[in-house]
Amino acid sequence: MKENRLPVFSVLDVEKRFLLRKGRNGPVELRALDGVRLDIEEGSSVALVGESGSGKSTLVRLLLGLDRPSDGRVLYDGGDLQQVLSRDRARFAREVAFVYQDARGSMNPRFTIGDIVGEPIRVHRLHPVQHIPQRVSELLERVGLPPSVAVRYPHQLSGGQVRRVAVARALAQQPRVIMADEAVAGLDVSVQASLLNLLRELVAELRVTLVFVTHDLGVASYLCDRIAVMYLGRILETGPVDAILQGPAHPYTRGLLDSFPRFDRPLRAPLRGEIPSPVDLPAGCRFAGRCPCVQPRCTSSDPVAQPLPGGRLVACFHPLSGQSGPT
Amino acid sequence: MDTLADTTLLSLDALSLARGRADVLDNVTFTLGRGQTVGLIGESGAGKSTIALAIIGLLRAPQVALRGSIRFDGVELTTLPESEYRRLRGNRIGLIFQDATAALNPCFTVGAHLAEPLSRHLGLQARERRQRSIELLESVGIGEAALRLDAFPHELSGGMQQRVMIAMALACDPQLLIADEPTSALDVTIQAQIMELILERVRARAASAIFVLHDLALAAQVCDRVVVLYAGQVVEEAPAAELFADPRHPYTRALRACSIELGERDALVPIPGAVPGLEDLPGGCRFAPRCERASARCAQTPPLVTDGTRRIACWHA
Amino acid sequence: MSAPRSMQVPAVPATRSGALAEGWSAVWAQRSARWGMGIVLAYVLAALFAPWLATHDPVAQAVEAAMQAPSTAHWLGTDSFGQDIYSRLLYGARLALAIGFGSVLLGMVAGVALGLIAGLAGGRIEWAIMRVVDGLLAFPELILAMAFLAVLGPGVDNLVYALALSFVGPFARTVRSDVLQVRAQPYVEAARLMGVPMREIVLRHVLLNVAPGIVVQAGIRVSIAILLESGLSFLGVGVVPPTPDWGLMIAEGRAFITMAPWISGIPGLALAILLVALNLLADGLRDALDPRSGETR
Repeated sequence: MKENRLPVFSVLDVEKRFLLRKGRNGPVELRALDGVRLDIEEGSSVALVGESGSGKSTLVRLLLGLDRPSDGRVLYDGGDLQQVLSRDRARFAREVAFVYQDARGSMNPRFTIGDIVGEPIRVHRLHPVQHIPQRVSELLERVGLPPSVAVRYPHQLSGGQVRRVAVARALAQQPRVIMADEAVAGLDVSVQASLLNLLRELVAELRVTLVFVTHDLGVASYLCDRIAVMYLGRILETGPVDAILQGPAHPYTRGLLDSFPRFDRPLRAPLRGEIPSPVDLPAGCRFAGRCPCVQPRCTSSDPVAQPLPGGRLVACFHPLSGQSGPT
Repeated sequence: MDTLADTTLLSLDALSLARGRADVLDNVTFTLGRGQTVGLIGESGAGKSTIALAIIGLLRAPQVALRGSIRFDGVELTTLPESEYRRLRGNRIGLIFQDATAALNPCFTVGAHLAEPLSRHLGLQARERRQRSIELLESVGIGEAALRLDAFPHELSGGMQQRVMIAMALACDPQLLIADEPTSALDVTIQAQIMELILERVRARAASAIFVLHDLALAAQVCDRVVVLYAGQVVEEAPAAELFADPRHPYTRALRACSIELGERDALVPIPGAVPGLEDLPGGCRFAPRCERASARCAQTPPLVTDGTRRIACWHA
Repeated sequence: MSAPRSMQVPAVPATRSGALAEGWSAVWAQRSARWGMGIVLAYVLAALFAPWLATHDPVAQAVEAAMQAPSTAHWLGTDSFGQDIYSRLLYGARLALAIGFGSVLLGMVAGVALGLIAGLAGGRIEWAIMRVVDGLLAFPELILAMAFLAVLGPGVDNLVYALALSFVGPFARTVRSDVLQVRAQPYVEAARLMGVPMREIVLRHVLLNVAPGIVVQAGIRVSIAILLESGLSFLGVGVVPPTPDWGLMIAEGRAFITMAPWISGIPGLALAILLVALNLLADGLRDALDPRSGETR
């Protein structure tokens, strides 16, 4: 632990299993998370990156206290999250804001935008009631919307506008941590770019901690300083964005990077096959089945995360070294 | 003209399409050579998917008002009777949609989906159909093909469903493949696999393809030529490599400037304003209200001018 | 591909206090709902001012004036006891509307409460409540009301209770399923994450979104209640003669349908028009209460 500051969130060997059915030979379980370890430092911006089925959204639900881990612990400010919640749920609710992927669905369709953005202010009594409309106007302007949208309803706004309202609502509670699940997915590039710029400005300006779930490495690298690459319920590699982009240590990270469409390279599909089912995890390394550099050892034992220089961690027996590039 | 007819598979000439008061397409012109792949790019509302639907005859009068011409292999499609069209669709023109889950009927097995074009267009008997279906599934990288024939769509992953769609589209060896955002619902590693597969199958058959895409970098990777659309008009068309190396139309530049590249840390430059509604389009150049180079001249509609290998509709290009 | 909306937001003033007025104007904007509302209003006014509008005592019998066709003396004719049909119709409207609205209101309060508790509590409480509701729903409304009246005896107040009881089940059932559906919406989870207290989530987020369904259902149930009330009285287990009641009037005129068709025909027509109007109004309410339908108006 550098400095003697506690991380905002610590995820300690968390497992999350979902019971699918009670089979003849014991229960059949889906392992959404399987031994996840992660520290989120105050003021950092962390991207959780992975394909669908990697467990990134499940991890966020655990961080938000919406689900409990089946095993392991989530710490908030050094205290067990469940205890923090039972002691002072209101404080946690104010300090940690969440921006949904389905921004429109996360807003009561019968509330005006003013009610929606004003709700956290009212609930946490951050401003006197008579000042709320003024504060809502400021927030809407801050996210680049005219204050007149306060009297509209969510369904009257465009997709990009609704996402901005969701950001304004998150800011309204003056959070310490903002978590967002695919908050810019499915938008046109131009709308996405302006939303990303807004988020980047806000994070820099307000010094909030950002946890951003995305499948898009480009978005992750634009917005965050750290990346955690998830695969099949485990974090395979974490580290500073630049270091990982320059030289991915895990073969999966490199596969992801090489699959990403680029202007300057021809199309390549470096990874074969698909993410396996989380119901029966393979023995050994979970990526071994698709790994281009698999060794006999990989199929028998499960690699644990080991540190690399530069604050990086990689869960691989044979981490790659050197620059990324077509091999 | 004869040589042109030989190398050109599909040509759209001054195609305009209106739906009620909305001018969805205006004067869209481009050609697609045999063995070529062309990409249609632009933001939502640009008319990319509409062009695809118009070509396959799913948007026709009286549903919409269609003007101009679509010629496919020497045949005018806009006036083609529906019965003739049915012989083209799924036979000489294959289709891949964005959402395989919605496009596959949940009540039918994979085998039934594949059998339909094989019996309708090729008139194959049950035994041949089964044989051909297995070959098709194998050709799109689905293992244990004989077993998969009896699977229902929901038993397959999104990537596998997309592969089945590709197999269906290729069942009758089409000359033209139209793929409308074929991978936007898939993860990048699967996207790369599927795109590679489509390109490989198209090239193996010397077929042509139209890709509707929103990802510029992907378009750069998979298309020979790229057509940039804005509010229903073609604003620029060029060979893919040239277009992205040196975008000339201000809109193409702006799109390029707000697309994220891996490792990009410099601020993206979003395009100011929003795409205009199709019911009240600005006169003159439609991009002018959002364009940094707009001038008084832009009040007039700029013509689509050919300049070497590219075509541009801008007074300032 | 849908055309995206432009960045400018139309400057339509929609203040909080204007929400109710906005709702009414949304109902008013629909032609069929306007008709429904007008007709229902006319019935309500007729019922309220029955003592002033009536030309005769509704229960005054006059054997010499029995079964008269409509005339200047008796605008809508008389029945077999010589009672004035017009006056009886007005007083009958009072009874019909009072029983209709009263029973629905009572059934709604009980049903909504049960449905909310079941939907929000879940587990055993939900199981227990829903089994009781299943029991109530197992009997057709008419049979349930008849059984209840058979125990309590006929009379207006018992009729209201009987009908209310038959509505508890349907209300509880639909409210519960609406609550389950709304509870699963991301905005309810979002409110919870934001630290909105449970009581407020129930009132502001859940009930507010369930309410339109309840209102629409209530509107339709009023017409069902009036129909059931007339039916019960027609069968002789509801209101007792000589109380002016449409069901009784229809039953009474049944024997003379060929000689004096107006005796059953006029109250029947009055009933039919009211039922249609109530249904039109309920449909209008449903459309007006959906914020998404606002675009088209």
